[in-house]
Amino acid sequence: MTSEKTPAAGAASPGGERPPAPVPPDPIVPAISSAERLALAERYGLTKMGVRPPLWAYVKDVASRWAFIRVLGTASAYARNQNTYLGQLWAVLNPILNATVYVLIFGLLLDIARGGVENVVAFIVIGVFLFRFVEQSVNGGAQSIAKRTNLIRSLHFPRAVLPISNVMSHLTTLVPALVVMCLIVWSSGYMGENDLVPVTWEWLLLVPAVALLWIFNMGLAFIMARVVAITPDLDNVISFVLRFAMYGSGVIFPVVRYVQELPDALQVWLGPILEYQPIAVYLYLGRSSLMDEEAFVQDPTMWILGVIWAIVFFVAGFIIFWRGEERYGRD
Amino acid sequence: MTDDVTEADAHLDFDLEVEEDDVGEHAEAIPLGDPCLVVDDLHIVFRVFGGKSREQAEKSGAHVEKAAPPKKPFVKRLLGAGRQHVGAVSEVHAVRGVSFTARHGESIGIVGINGSGKSTLLRAVTGLIPPHSGSVFVDGEPALLGVNAALMPQMTGAKNIEIGGLALGMTPKQIDEKFDEVVEFADIGSFVDLPMKTYSSGMAARLRFAISSAAIPDILMVDEALATGDAAFKARSKARIEEVRQQAGTVFLVSHSISTIEAMCTRVLWMHQGKLVMDGPVEEVTAAYRQFVRAHRQARSGGRAGGTRRGRNGGKNKRKG
Repeated sequence: MTSEKTPAAGAASPGGERPPAPVPPDPIVPAISSAERLALAERYGLTKMGVRPPLWAYVKDVASRWAFIRVLGTASAYARNQNTYLGQLWAVLNPILNATVYVLIFGLLLDIARGGVENVVAFIVIGVFLFRFVEQSVNGGAQSIAKRTNLIRSLHFPRAVLPISNVMSHLTTLVPALVVMCLIVWSSGYMGENDLVPVTWEWLLLVPAVALLWIFNMGLAFIMARVVAITPDLDNVISFVLRFAMYGSGVIFPVVRYVQELPDALQVWLGPILEYQPIAVYLYLGRSSLMDEEAFVQDPTMWILGVIWAIVFFVAGFIIFWRGEERYGRD
Repeated sequence: MTDDVTEADAHLDFDLEVEEDDVGEHAEAIPLGDPCLVVDDLHIVFRVFGGKSREQAEKSGAHVEKAAPPKKPFVKRLLGAGRQHVGAVSEVHAVRGVSFTARHGESIGIVGINGSGKSTLLRAVTGLIPPHSGSVFVDGEPALLGVNAALMPQMTGAKNIEIGGLALGMTPKQIDEKFDEVVEFADIGSFVDLPMKTYSSGMAARLRFAISSAAIPDILMVDEALATGDAAFKARSKARIEEVRQQAGTVFLVSHSISTIEAMCTRVLWMHQGKLVMDGPVEEVTAAYRQFVRAHRQARSGGRAGGTRRGRNGGKNKRKG
């Protein structure tokens, strides 16, 4: 904030014995006109700053910063959990505790998941772990530009690096968490009256499922980054939208079952939306890879949809973000 | 605000600070090349959320203008009662129509009292703050000397050298090659494997400077980076700046120490209230500026003899728009 008084204001203040405040020289009038300066810039082949680069050049620029994205992502993932005694263990403990709460309340107490699902523990655990990645990407993406104005105002780099590396940092903590998730799903076969969960080659499909989710999340992060950078107020709305998304995507109970109780007219359009919206698709892909149940068989349609959603969101998000490139850091 | 010494007054002393080891030194003149930077009628306006209302800010001398009114007057009326807290958006016009041209090999200092827009001008010229209107043309890539924003205090010095180098656009291979040089230049020895938050402030400042000067840019911007560090380090930094100039680069320097500016620059821009009020050879501008600051301080401190001297760290907070 500017805090000095104008010289005139200083002179007018009471306390008459003081000498008058000095007046700086008048602003200089440039010797050459604006047009002449522009001509000069052109003659010496100078490039204009603060102009958004063409899309393709921007893509190449971002790709050339891959090492930066990787290092920034892994370092901030590490830094996030560093100030605790258990340190990096929290990357795994956090989602476990989260899942425990939901399993206890929704799975055991309310028994809400009983609607065609046999292994409630596996259902909820996979849902919670995967949805957490979406949640973190949206929140992280939203803050990746807005909270790092300082960095943006001190160094040149394509700003898309920030949301990408943010999602990367969450992916870094997700990988060990996924290993734990697989262990829980496997051991859930020995709990209560659940059937054994066989470990098959199908489990490897979790890798492409998470990869698609990652691409989708980057798209989300791009959109959120631009939106929140320009309208910071929306940061406050995100958590409500996310909670809505959580209950609407069948993270902790199969929401599609409840649609069947609605009137037909509503069912017709609400059913497909809930079933084929991106988050529901990725949860289905994750569950169909690990769970051996009739409700979650491998479905090529879902895989195709997963690919389409990932590409659509990533490309659209990238373009939306790129179109704001020259604005980031101004306010 | 009372008639007491304002924050800006406290800084005036700082502005006149003399670094003993700089006195008498002068930047050697290097034959000037072609223009490498053209700034044309540059305006920078910050949007400030939850800012003071215009009237209040005006009293404290800031150039605050109200942002365009919201589209819905009804909503505005609804919020009218708490306007200072709800939906308060004001604009700070930090740089107001600056034009100049710089040539290869020039070393340009920017002076001005606090809040005159020096740092903002520097960042805008680097292309880091998009202009509100006007334009900046450059040859090559300007770089601000300062990677601190990219660094992570929780990580080790070594990791931070990697992060900082990558942030500056170096490749992993270049960073490997420069690593030892950076550690040596920063003079941190075995501390390089400890988290940066365990460093003394001098060590951290040296490491930051060493990292940011690892890459030699076409146009180097320095914002008071030399304020920290011991004499030996200062000498090495100066050598680094000379190195950039010798390679036909251009250096911009914002410093609160006039003697540093005199020792390192060949040309000085004087900013006042967001406008350029003087632009010329170093002796001429610094002489006039010195006189202005002295008179300004006397006028402020009035009857009190000698003015109030505050510690040099009395609020070095830079503009954070």
